[in-house]
Amino acid sequence: MNKDLRQQFQILITLAEKDFKVRYRNSVLGFLWSLLNPLAYMLIIALVFSLMLRLTVPNYAPWLLMGILIWRFFQVGTSQGILSLVTQPSLVTKINLPRMLIVISNNLANLMGTALEFVVLLPLLLFFGVPLTPYAILLPLVLICEFVLVLALSLLLSALNLRYRDFDQLWDIALQLGFFLSPIAYDSSLIPVRFQFVYSLNPVTRMIGLARGVFLLQPLPKLSDLIILLSVIGVFLVLGVTVFLRLEKRFPEMI
Amino acid sequence: MSHPLKSTIVVESVWKGFKIPHRKRATILDNLAAMLSIFEEMTFKYEEFWATKEVSFRVEHGESLGIIGPNGSGKSTLLKLIAGIMLPDRGSIKTDGSVAPILELGLGFHSELTVRENALVYGVLLGLSRKEINARSDSILEFAGLTRFRDAQLKNLSSGMQVRLAFAIAVQTDADIFLLDEALSVGDLEFQEKCIARFRELKKEGKTIVLVSHNTSLVRSFCEKTLYLRNGEVRMFGTSEEATNLYVRDMRTSFIPAR
Repeated sequence: MNKDLRQQFQILITLAEKDFKVRYRNSVLGFLWSLLNPLAYMLIIALVFSLMLRLTVPNYAPWLLMGILIWRFFQVGTSQGILSLVTQPSLVTKINLPRMLIVISNNLANLMGTALEFVVLLPLLLFFGVPLTPYAILLPLVLICEFVLVLALSLLLSALNLRYRDFDQLWDIALQLGFFLSPIAYDSSLIPVRFQFVYSLNPVTRMIGLARGVFLLQPLPKLSDLIILLSVIGVFLVLGVTVFLRLEKRFPEMI
Repeated sequence: MSHPLKSTIVVESVWKGFKIPHRKRATILDNLAAMLSIFEEMTFKYEEFWATKEVSFRVEHGESLGIIGPNGSGKSTLLKLIAGIMLPDRGSIKTDGSVAPILELGLGFHSELTVRENALVYGVLLGLSRKEINARSDSILEFAGLTRFRDAQLKNLSSGMQVRLAFAIAVQTDADIFLLDEALSVGDLEFQEKCIARFRELKKEGKTIVLVSHNTSLVRSFCEKTLYLRNGEVRMFGTSEEATNLYVRDMRTSFIPAR
């Protein structure tokens, strides 16, 4: 039994390593792309929101960059996670393997990419004049919370997508909507008070708030925020795992 | 029930069914109904299809089993059931020892990765540890005859070379039961001989080998027992000699038109 677990762990890290390598193979700039991509994104949004829409947020650049990095982790992670099973049918139908490993390894590869993005781009924040405080140490915890959220949604959606490929398309639309329903480019104070509660249920909103809170100290997260966020993630995780395990027995026939 | 403890594979009354959707929609109304309903089951007609029906057999310790039969007779489904990839609808399957399903050579291979990177992925999926694969990578490459290409991307190898790489890794697997789906009929003649010799060695070590093949002479020379499936049912389970003879006779009587 113990040997099985060890082997499953080996499969997990090997598949994650494979996913990670494949992402940057055969492009001249390789990993540089995942740094250029968020930076380009940041410039575009800054152009649209601060120049054209005259949005004013103090110290906009680092504030925006933090929002983009958190959003990209969510967006790339779930949109690749949802496809992890359908794009690798052999791993589902030709070998006896807990299929969760396929999804988790895909998410892990994404986590590795995001961690590198943060490591390389965070010094840029210091360059923008953001003071480094001891709270910044909490940032990895925020990323771990977000990883669990991405994993929960990937499990749920990849299993459903195996049955009805419509979910992949629907999620694509949901993500486009999600970008505007999360305080990436604008501050959540712009949302009318009567919608604030519904708005704040979006876990990505809270995640971005937390990341900005611990790194940019605006404003520091409250304990109640954290508890609500963890509960929402917990609900998604239970739902994702339950649906995945229920459908897993029939995966080889569904694919 | 001669030696119940010595059996490595025991399959009892196994049924496995598939639902095959009929995607033909006759009228506009059907199409509309299909669009409106979230669950396909409501509007699609399904045909129940039994891939295996009441299949029973057992493989004793140290024996090898051949599985033969025409296309669509349930051979691959049966292998997937033994491997535990699919679960039977009825009946039971017991295996004693670890199972290495070699149903697709080069599972998880990626054309952008190098020979050695791919060897690591495939080897780990087949149950080897990363340490073991790295330690054996020289002998794997030598067996495959690919030592020169260790750091080449897989896409730059010919398809025959890719299969040889996959096979060289597959035979490194430590398992008690090997499930092979048409796997031995790959590569050039020399490589085939090498593979068969390797599996004879494994057999001598007491491993069980289940071989799905259309090559009746290979099955006869390699396996003590053979299961002959037809339309998902056991047409015959007996010595390889008897089963392959019946298979050949059946084929002749059904395909040569009467004069």
